[in-house]
This record gives sequence, C-alpha cells and structure tokens, in this order.
Amino acid sequence: MAVRHDRKVSILDVMGPVMVGPSSSHTAGTARLGRVAREILDEDPKEVHFFLHPPLAATYRGHGSDFALVGGAIGLNVDDPRIPEAIRIAEQMDVTIEFAEEDLGDVHPNTVRISIRGDAREVEIVGSSIGGGVIEVFKINGFQTRFKGDSPTLLLFYRDRPGMISEVTKAIAEEGINIASLYCSRKQRGKDAFMQIDVDSPLSEDALKRICSTPDVEDARYLDRIP
Amino acid sequence: MIESFKQLEELAGDRDLAEVFLESDEQEHAVPGEQILEALRKRRAVMRDCVDRGMSGGESMGRLVGHEAELLNRAFQEGRTFLDPLTVKAELYALSVMGENSRMGVIVAAPTAGAGGIVPGTLLALEEERHIEQEKTVRGLVVAGGIGSVIALSANISGAAGGCQNEVGVAASMAAGAVAYMMGGTTRMSIHAAAIALKNTLGLVCDPVGGLVEVPCVKRNALFAVHGLTAAQLALAGVESVIPMDEIVEAMVRIGRSLPRGLRETAEGGLATTQTGTAIAKRLKEEANQRRAEKAAERERAAQERKEHVTHD
Repeated sequence: MAVRHDRKVSILDVMGPVMVGPSSSHTAGTARLGRVAREILDEDPKEVHFFLHPPLAATYRGHGSDFALVGGAIGLNVDDPRIPEAIRIAEQMDVTIEFAEEDLGDVHPNTVRISIRGDAREVEIVGSSIGGGVIEVFKINGFQTRFKGDSPTLLLFYRDRPGMISEVTKAIAEEGINIASLYCSRKQRGKDAFMQIDVDSPLSEDALKRICSTPDVEDARYLDRIP
Repeated sequence: MIESFKQLEELAGDRDLAEVFLESDEQEHAVPGEQILEALRKRRAVMRDCVDRGMSGGESMGRLVGHEAELLNRAFQEGRTFLDPLTVKAELYALSVMGENSRMGVIVAAPTAGAGGIVPGTLLALEEERHIEQEKTVRGLVVAGGIGSVIALSANISGAAGGCQNEVGVAASMAAGAVAYMMGGTTRMSIHAAAIALKNTLGLVCDPVGGLVEVPCVKRNALFAVHGLTAAQLALAGVESVIPMDEIVEAMVRIGRSLPRGLRETAEGGLATTQTGTAIAKRLKEEANQRRAEKAAERERAAQERKEHVTHD
C-alpha cells in the first residue's frame, strides 16, 4: 500500500479538532476552508460566494455546512459556539452570501470553490474537506497548489522571472527558518506566478518585509496555522 | 516517521507506546511532546464536559435523535441495566457525546465528529470503572491519535471516501489499541487490538438518513464503543489477528473504493432510502424549504421597512 507522505497528520489532528458538531468533514473542515479564504483576504468580507460540488450540495444543509462555511469566512474558529448563528451574524455585518451548486470535476466529494471579496482584495480558493477536519486547498486565485493550513505559510504572487525562487528562499534561509514544502505554479511564462512556502517556524515581520520588497513580488500573504 | 504498524512494533520494542508516538510526532511536526500532552489534557476535559452535558439529552437538529443517553442513564441509575457497569458506561458516554454533536454542541472529533463518541466513551468509562489516573487516559489519547495517524497515511478518514468503516471502524480501532495500552498491554497487544477491531468493521457503509449525523450514527457509536472494548479484551488475552494491521488498512481502502457512491455518505442508499428513511428525508426537505421561504419573506419585509423609512425622512 502506498504511503502518502503529503497525508501525514499529527496526533492532535487525529484526536481533534475541538469543534462544533455535527460533522468533522461537513462542519469543521468546511469552516476551516471558509477561514482560509478569509485569512488570505485579510479583511472583513463584503461578499462571499460558495460553489458546492454536487455531493456536498446534496448533503451540506443537514450538517450545518452552510453555517460553518459562512462562520469560517467571517473569521470564526471551528470550536466557536457562535457557528450555528454564523449566517445571522454575517447578515448583521452586511455580508452578501450566496450558495450555488457547481461540478468541480474529478475531486473529493466534499469540495467547494469559494469566491470572497472585500474592499481591497478579491480571493478565490478551491479546496476539499477530506475528513476529520483536515483540508486540502488545491487552487488559490487560479494557481495550482497544495495548502493544508497546518503550518505557517507564505503565499507570494509575483511576475515569473529567473532567480525569483532562489532570492526568496535565500531570505528565508537567512532567518534560520526551515522550509517544509514549496509549490510553484504560473499561468504563463514570464507572467503571473505563485509560490507557496510552508515553513517550520513563524517568519518575523522583518523577514516578511524583505521578502515582499523583492523585485516583481506583487502581493504577499503570510498565514499562521489555520485553527 | 512511523509509516506502518510493522515498523511501529519494531521501533517501540519494550518502550512505552505513548512515548514512541510523542517522539515521532515531535520529530515530524516540530511540536514538543509536552505541548501535545497539554493539548490532550484540555481535550480530555472537553470530552468529559461533553459527556456530562449530553447525559441529560435534548432534541437534535433534525429531531430524529436526542434522548438515547437520557434513557440509558435513567435505566442505569435505577439499576435496570443487565450489562456490567464498564460496558453500560461506554455505551452511555458514547451516546452522550453523539447527542451533543447532533445539537451542534462542542465536541472533540476523534477522529471525526460522526465517530466522535467511541474514543471518549471507552476511555472515560475505563478511567472511572478501573480507577485509572487521568494522566494515563491522556496518554491513552496519544496512543489512539497515534494509531489514527498511521492509518491516515494510507486512508482518507471520512465516510465520503470509504464509508463508515473509515470513521467508526477507525475510531473503534483507535479505542481498542488505547484501551489495551491503558490496561497495561504490550505494543504488540495494542496493535492486535486495533487490528481485530478494524477488521471486524470492514464493509460498514455510510448511509445516514436525510444526510444527518443522527441515524444510524448516534446508536452506532454506542455499539462500536463496546466493540472496541471486546477487541482489546481478546488482544490482552493473547488473541492475535491473522491478517496483519497494515494489510487490514489496505483492505479497508480497497473496500472503500469499491463501495458504490450511494453508500458513501451521500444519503442515496441503504438506510437512507428505506421507506422510513425516504419519508424522513422528504419531511426534512419540506421543513428546510419552509424555513427558507419564511426567512426570505422576513428579509423582504425588513427591506420594505427600510425603504419606507428613507421615504419618510
């Protein structure tokens, strides 16, 4: 049997999370997916659209996935007892919420595309809740990646050019920080590109500033572990 | 990293199994062992709270379940139960957690919410009935989590991926291994307890009525908590699984793949599509539609009022 190293989960991942019921894949995992979108957006959302893969669209309501997705998108943790009230809270915050069904292709049954908009940014992610609250985000703003939210992560949006990866990783190495994994993808040679760097320990503000000032970096987002 | 149960057994030798898992987790995820233990102490407390709250019952979101723990607890308090107290408590605590879960209460996913009654049910019942130190239960949670993490390397832990065997089966397996550990068994016994428990859940389908984590999930957790205890009992007596644990996990993944989609949490087969199951699903849908219509009307009214308000100004 093939062991999937990308699937390794910690004891605390298995024996957890502490969460609001009733389903770790439909409630906790979906709340975390909403939270990922919110964290990348980094501001209060104005509008959130959820596009649910058909199997999820068929089952989400009974599991409170709608509360959970919205709860995550407005920044609630998976164990926040306000999750059952999340839709009402979002309405009070004047957030426009929409749910729709969409065939997202050959993906895990519990997959959702989330499009979230604030005043400054617009973010789109596609991710799956694969069970036990564990998530896999495999698309961020149209770029292929593999984001699990289980370690501090740096997301860089930049213009593709030679030397970019070495400059960025050098800056991280100079901080004495170990890179756990790195994913790069681009839409076209020399055009929009994306780098996701999972690190073993948090990056300092200074290091972030230096990385962001690297020529051709258009936007950078630093995310802590998604609770 | 521990990649298989075979490797785990070799690596552990005569050492304390919880210690082996903590060490491996620390190396792999850079979280100090003491930090893991501290987090699990808190989670044990959340489990305990959840059991206490759940014992008094209350209606679930879908109103299909909610009073199972209350009924069993009453029978137990009044001396009307015939099983031994450990077994009754394992059932009772599992029902309590699942009741809370069905009311959107705070629980610990272990490894999932839908199978979240089994580990706390067995471990907390054992702690009470066999007068085991709380700290030992916390280490039992390490063992349970460790077993789950090795399974998760090759299997998706969700009903959607492989049916109920991947949730309740895995939870019972984790619980069995942890119980064997807490009762002083060897690592080999823990692995065989986990193997016997998992092996005998293979093929279990996920067919929740109306798509809710209520029927059959709540009662199933109670039954498989006991399943975990009996698997641990066999292993502690020296009974071993003929098929090794790693191969059982492999079989589980294969069976999961060959399960039709309707039996993997979609509510399109099995119990969900029985006459009663279908009728319940229909009622739930109608109720949801009604609530949505009421909400839309309410929003409409509020918008209308705002508009009138503006005109008057």
